Amino acid sequence: MLRHCTISELLDLRDGEGSSAARAHVEECEACRSELDRLYQRMAALKALPSISPPRDRWPLVREGLVASRRRVRWQRAGWSALAAAASLVMLVGVGAVLRGGPTASEGGSELQTLVEQSRQLDEALRVVGAERRVLNGLTALAIADLEDRVAVIDSQIAYVRTASIGEREMEHLWRMRVAVMDVLVTTHVQQAANVGF
Amino acid sequence: MAEMTLAALDELAIHRAKAGDLRALERVYRAYEGSVYTVARRICRTAEDAEEVMQETFLEVCRSIKRFRGSAPGSLTAWIKRVAASKALIRIRYEKYRETDELQEEGGWAGSRDNDVGLQMDLEAALGRLSETARAVVWLHDVEGYTHEEIAELMGKTVSFSKSQLSRAHARLRRLLGEEAQC
Repeated sequence: MLRHCTISELLDLRDGEGSSAARAHVEECEACRSELDRLYQRMAALKALPSISPPRDRWPLVREGLVASRRRVRWQRAGWSALAAAASLVMLVGVGAVLRGGPTASEGGSELQTLVEQSRQLDEALRVVGAERRVLNGLTALAIADLEDRVAVIDSQIAYVRTASIGEREMEHLWRMRVAVMDVLVTTHVQQAANVGF
Repeated sequence: MAEMTLAALDELAIHRAKAGDLRALERVYRAYEGSVYTVARRICRTAEDAEEVMQETFLEVCRSIKRFRGSAPGSLTAWIKRVAASKALIRIRYEKYRETDELQEEGGWAGSRDNDVGLQMDLEAALGRLSETARAVVWLHDVEGYTHEEIAELMGKTVSFSKSQLSRAHARLRRLLGEEAQC
């Protein structure tokens, strides 16, 4: 090879892919050999550059995004579950109504009112204790998200039963479940608040 | 950094991370945040972009790690860095930065090379003056060890494009570093 090597040819040589003609030329040509050495040195210098530390900790944002993403998936699943549960409830109540000769509208009215009132008080307690945004550990955040999802599913079932004018006994059952889950949710928030010096 | 990463993450932690354990996922984050941010920062123009790339990378890693099947040493590192490189390249592809390296080169800038630290700073500055694409090719090929075929695939370009970018980048680096062409 009569001419000097191009950078491209030298890079190929550096990476072990050069042509035999280029290799032979470099062995004979001091200038090209020097240029090839420089490419080796530059690569070594690039590899020796220090790693760069991120200026801020992004894990809280990553975790938040991850929890939100999981929550969305659960919501989608819960949506289907709620629909299926509501459909089952309609079937059960329908069969019961046929067997009993109709829905029992007046059964347990005061019990239902008590449950609704307890649930309202728990909603208020949750509003107070959950108002301040705190840093949650991952497990607590997941537990709270799960409980909130369950409350949302029960609420959707209550709304469905209400519009479908289904019997009060089924409504009582749902409100009882809501009170129980809300109680755990409020307790979890209170314990978390206590842990971080609320 | 790779050795530290391997030491920090044992099999159990990776297994737990795959099961979705948030504490184990945080360990993965802590083990790789430096290398991921470095790849992102070397490719992206600004620190803010690099931070966002890092965040996107770890969201992707946390969501997909359960499907990661690599068992060879370093395969997790390679996978996470590949996700980071891919996210960074997507970002620079859609950024509307003007490629100003040609204008910056006209100033004939060349820093001092009195010692190793000076040389390092020169190289950092010279890298910063390359276009994002050229810098990405140099970094992925010369530092991270990607082949031109892999870079072409990541960038959605041809192998010739990758080779040409590398040659041009080294020619520019030579000028920016004030080195005389020997041949």
